[in-house]
Amino acid sequence: MSTPVAMKPAAEPATAKSTARPAARLTGFMPLIALVVLVAALTVADPDFLTQRSLTAASRTAAPLIVLAAGATLVVLCGGIDLSIAALASLSTVLLALWLPDLGGLATPVVILAAATIGAVQGVAHVLLRIPSFIVTLGGMSVLSAVALVVSGAGTVRVVDDTPVAWLDLYLGGYVPMSAAMALLVVALIALVLKVTPLQSWVSATGYSESAARLAGTPVDLVKIGAFCVSGACAGFAAVMLVSRQFSGGPTMADNLLLPAVAAIVVGGTAITGGHGSVWRSLAGALVVTLLRVGLPIVGVPSAYEQILYGAIIVVAVALTLDGSKVSIIK
Amino acid sequence: MSVPALEVRGLVKHYPGVKALDGVDLVVRQHEVLGLAGENGAGKSTLLKALVGLVTPDAGEIYVRGEPVRLRSVVEAAGHGIGMVFQEQSLVPNLTAAENIVLGSEGAAVRRGLYRWDTMRRLAQEQLDKIGSHIDPLARTDSLSFADRQMVEIAKVLRIEQRSQHPPVVILDEPTSVLESKEIETLFAQIRRLREFASVIFVSHRLDEVLDVCDRVAVLRGGQSVGEVTTEGAVPRELHRMMIGSTGSDDHYHENAAVAVSSEQPRLSVRGLSGATFKDIDLDVAAGEIVGIVGVHGSGREDVCRALFGAEPTTAGEVRMDGKRIDLTSTRAACAAGIGYVPAERKTEGMVGPMSVADNMTLTKQKARCTGPFVAPGKQAGLVDRWIERLSIRTPGRDTAIGRLSGGNQQKVVLARWLVGGDIRLLLLDHPTRGLDIGARSEVYRLMRELAATGVATVLLADSLEEAIGMADRILVMTDGRVATEVACPNGGKPSPLDLVKEMV
Repeated sequence: MSTPVAMKPAAEPATAKSTARPAARLTGFMPLIALVVLVAALTVADPDFLTQRSLTAASRTAAPLIVLAAGATLVVLCGGIDLSIAALASLSTVLLALWLPDLGGLATPVVILAAATIGAVQGVAHVLLRIPSFIVTLGGMSVLSAVALVVSGAGTVRVVDDTPVAWLDLYLGGYVPMSAAMALLVVALIALVLKVTPLQSWVSATGYSESAARLAGTPVDLVKIGAFCVSGACAGFAAVMLVSRQFSGGPTMADNLLLPAVAAIVVGGTAITGGHGSVWRSLAGALVVTLLRVGLPIVGVPSAYEQILYGAIIVVAVALTLDGSKVSIIK
Repeated sequence: MSVPALEVRGLVKHYPGVKALDGVDLVVRQHEVLGLAGENGAGKSTLLKALVGLVTPDAGEIYVRGEPVRLRSVVEAAGHGIGMVFQEQSLVPNLTAAENIVLGSEGAAVRRGLYRWDTMRRLAQEQLDKIGSHIDPLARTDSLSFADRQMVEIAKVLRIEQRSQHPPVVILDEPTSVLESKEIETLFAQIRRLREFASVIFVSHRLDEVLDVCDRVAVLRGGQSVGEVTTEGAVPRELHRMMIGSTGSDDHYHENAAVAVSSEQPRLSVRGLSGATFKDIDLDVAAGEIVGIVGVHGSGREDVCRALFGAEPTTAGEVRMDGKRIDLTSTRAACAAGIGYVPAERKTEGMVGPMSVADNMTLTKQKARCTGPFVAPGKQAGLVDRWIERLSIRTPGRDTAIGRLSGGNQQKVVLARWLVGGDIRLLLLDHPTRGLDIGARSEVYRLMRELAATGVATVLLADSLEEAIGMADRILVMTDGRVATEVACPNGGKPSPLDLVKEMV
């Protein structure tokens, strides 16, 4: 898997290589290496793991997480954090379940749009009121969770006719879950838009050094609001995936995805301090995190110890993937 | 003669592309005030940092009272009796003076993890008595005047005396740059008093001060010791000649390339601009003209510069570019009006270190590398390579992270950022040669002349008075947030630094 750096012309790999130390080059591929090692370990532990069936199941499980992590990665690249994604996704599942009967096929774009708007509002609050994104989205998380409880009546909202979202539960060619394919598409789309427009350098500059970006005339505020907006839209899309799978919406349905999503971002090697990283890395990170979740029971780890191992592995993974030369302050 | 309090032999320190220290020798005798003079980039601050353990030299030795030492941290340096009063004050504002004085060396002031306020107060008072200061040790630091805070800082440094059991070496880095003239007198009295029980290294840009307060002055140039002067009977001019060396006399500032300016319609016209730290600024800059603004720290000139770039709020006044009124509400608005800004803090504000030369160069004028909304890699490569060649930027390639280049080449990329769009009309340069070696500076000066020749108006906040005089066609002197006076500065009729200093204080 490549970790594209914006606008690096294909003709010049020699220069790029000569300036990076071998160790640093290796850390760049660490998420990928971790993924391969994990698959290999799981296959050794359970030869049945590397079958089409379990891979299909794993990728289907990973899809909403990939989308959530991809959106939030943009916020992290800008130097912020979005803690509201899971709560926003939960709320979106409720809204989608409520609106499907009336809006039908339109419900999906409307929910994504609503989630994007909520994301943008948080971005505006962060930029205009100069509140740290950590605080804004922590508050947002709480507010959105409560709203989800209120509008759902604190219970699961069943979807009777799921035809408008059923397409997400299909399988491409019988093997590839549509949701996983769409998740991949989202990641590719974000990566592509960043790559072919000035956005990549705006986002990186904002994340690495906001004051330098501002003094270079970069539209820092708009970039940040945009990042929150995309993060919100991704939360909305993840919600659509969840609803298509579970035939219902629930006020806490996606809540347990917050930590895995943040873990996916950092395990992928995106610097939590901003600037350095990519959505491709978060894709690799999300796959690692998913494999850990489905894999630990396969290896026979008792569920009580699962969380311990899971937490420890994430910390170790970050220690391995964090490119110390790119991040001067660890906070 | 007794053993020197501090001796440095053959100290060498390399930074990428720059030899900051190139075999420096220095002797500080006991109970003497040694001045350290040198232009910016001469290696003064690197030398001082090496003496307090903030920089590890690549080669050379440091001897304290004849014993060779290795200083790996400020604490180790303090253990050997070397302490520094930092240029930027290092006190914690919401603590009392006493807490600040004992901070980091609490000793008897802390027992079982708890502050013993009486002891602390007594310890702090001892230090303050030493320098004869009447500051209340229990006053909050942020309620003290700037000069008082400096006294607290000196008292704090003197705490190291108790640790090393020897007369300390106190380093004062530009202590006068933020003080009023009366406060400077008090400080000088303190320094003379310090001599009784300590050795002092004194650094200042103002040569008259150095000659006034020091016994001896050591001069650095280009990272080397070039000599020393006994201050008795010495004059600033002699010292200055040593600082700039013989090469300083030829056309360092490319004055021959200066262009004649017509001031019929100014390119930039500022009337009554006011903000938090400046008031009623009037300023005209013609196309092709270089206007220098000089003033001491706190004169407000940096803020005026930032305000003209939309990076600092203003409360009144109007700004016109080529006669057209512009609203500088954001840096983007300034960029759109053809204004460029090179900040003084290159590493944190001027450039994005981990990003490539190409990305840094095209960060502002994205249009120059795009076709429609999309980045055109070929267009970008051609554009960036052209400017790399034109400004002779030494870099392995356009994709190298800018942080890996030397300071001079970094600055050229930062300057190029404003040139790639081809629509630059006014350049605001805040200390554009800070931290650059002589060769790199000369190239920046040449570039400034070339830009002026194409009609770019320039506002220059120079690194030194000499630089302002050498480069500017006109100089505004700012004091306390206002324009005090304007000095014509034409080729052949340049004012002397002393003329300007008189207006600055």
